[in-house]
Amino acid sequence: MKNLFKPEMLKALIGILTFLLVLKLLWFIVQIGWLSPLDIDQEEDQSSKSLYYRVKLTPNNIAAPQKAVSKAVKKIAGSIKEIKLLAIYNASDIAVVTVEYRHKSKVLGSGDMINGFTLEGAGSNFAMFSKSDKNYKVMLAKNSNASSNTSMIKSVPTPKRKKTEKKVLGEVTNEGDIKIIDRSLLDHYAENMDDIYKNIGIAEVKEGKDLKGFKINFVRKDSPFAKLGIRRNDVIKSINGQEIKSYNAAFGVYKNIKNVDNLSLVIMRGKEEMELEYEIN
Amino acid sequence: MQMVKKSALIILAIWFSILLFMPKTELYYTLEKTLANQDIKLNEKSIDEGLFSLTLKDVTIYVKGIALANIEELDFFTVLFYSSLDVVNLQVDEALHSKVPALTKEASFTHNLFSPLTLSVDANGSFGIIEGEIKMLNKEVRIDFVKVGDMSMIQSYLTKDEKGWFYEKSF
Repeated sequence: MKNLFKPEMLKALIGILTFLLVLKLLWFIVQIGWLSPLDIDQEEDQSSKSLYYRVKLTPNNIAAPQKAVSKAVKKIAGSIKEIKLLAIYNASDIAVVTVEYRHKSKVLGSGDMINGFTLEGAGSNFAMFSKSDKNYKVMLAKNSNASSNTSMIKSVPTPKRKKTEKKVLGEVTNEGDIKIIDRSLLDHYAENMDDIYKNIGIAEVKEGKDLKGFKINFVRKDSPFAKLGIRRNDVIKSINGQEIKSYNAAFGVYKNIKNVDNLSLVIMRGKEEMELEYEIN
Repeated sequence: MQMVKKSALIILAIWFSILLFMPKTELYYTLEKTLANQDIKLNEKSIDEGLFSLTLKDVTIYVKGIALANIEELDFFTVLFYSSLDVVNLQVDEALHSKVPALTKEASFTHNLFSPLTLSVDANGSFGIIEGEIKMLNKEVRIDFVKVGDMSMIQSYLTKDEKGWFYEKSF
């Protein structure tokens, strides 16, 4: 006990405490002067989505038969039977298959999607697809010409080339006064975001810090977007009743685009507000 | 000898005190502020400050207001001469699954004073297992795929040599 109160010990103790105090004080100065005292959080989007219903009050005879066609297509859409396996290339690191879908052949790599089915892998004579946590086995077509592995390797493109070979399926067609968008076209753009920006330029419109919408900078001639009737300098205000005043709102629409049956765009063209409506078939 | 011992003790005390009093949460808030200038925001459920670490739980990453990814746990650790950032269960939004790997189970970024201009990266997830380095001086990134998983969505960015697939880029 006597040792504790020795002048040298006390001096050392006071020295340590002073040192700690100085260090704490230095950190405090740094904290006050340079560090942020507040947590910056993203505010959740509280704006509720307006309910969107499309009701046809006028007796339009043109639209009715189109809906019937739409239903007929829906029955077969999403069926694994539509996919015919033509050829398989199965390496240790990747599986590449050639399939026939809607009378068109398509090359798929592991993870690629077709008709809502994702290619998971392949065996010697089958390909494995998945959809909604279920697996589907598609056997190699017996009358396929490409039966030997070597001949298939020649036809298998490298992954870099494969991207350019992805074809846009479907079209935008005019049926009377209604424009009909092929579902496969919509699915294609939902899965290939890059392809959207090859055909259309979109820039944000701001008033101060607030986002007011998205402006069309350019529309590639003869692209499906041009056929939609969208023009340069149009400002997209809402899609299917959802106001597009934030990136989050735009992304929300993009994420759900596969699930919509109708599409309605409210745009500002010059000083005029216009509504463009489409059916998805 | 006594002098050396005393100096070592003082250095140890300074080192320990710096880490002890370091305002880790405020440093993290400052990082958040810097990221917010790039329209990147992090929302976290909890922040736990440790002696040498800062742990964030259930972090959602927003880019331009869009929730693009969620991280179960983010752990910053530093003893000044060695620092690390560990990411546990990073899941990207479903809409981006065609662009980036869906799940990163674990990722670790480490930096040590012996190679101050190099950042090491190790990760494993749905894409496989990767190891790599970010060289700050040469401004180069090289990431090797030690084990290959589902990497079809990023394969166009990769190159293959006799050792396997790798990603290389200068920035």
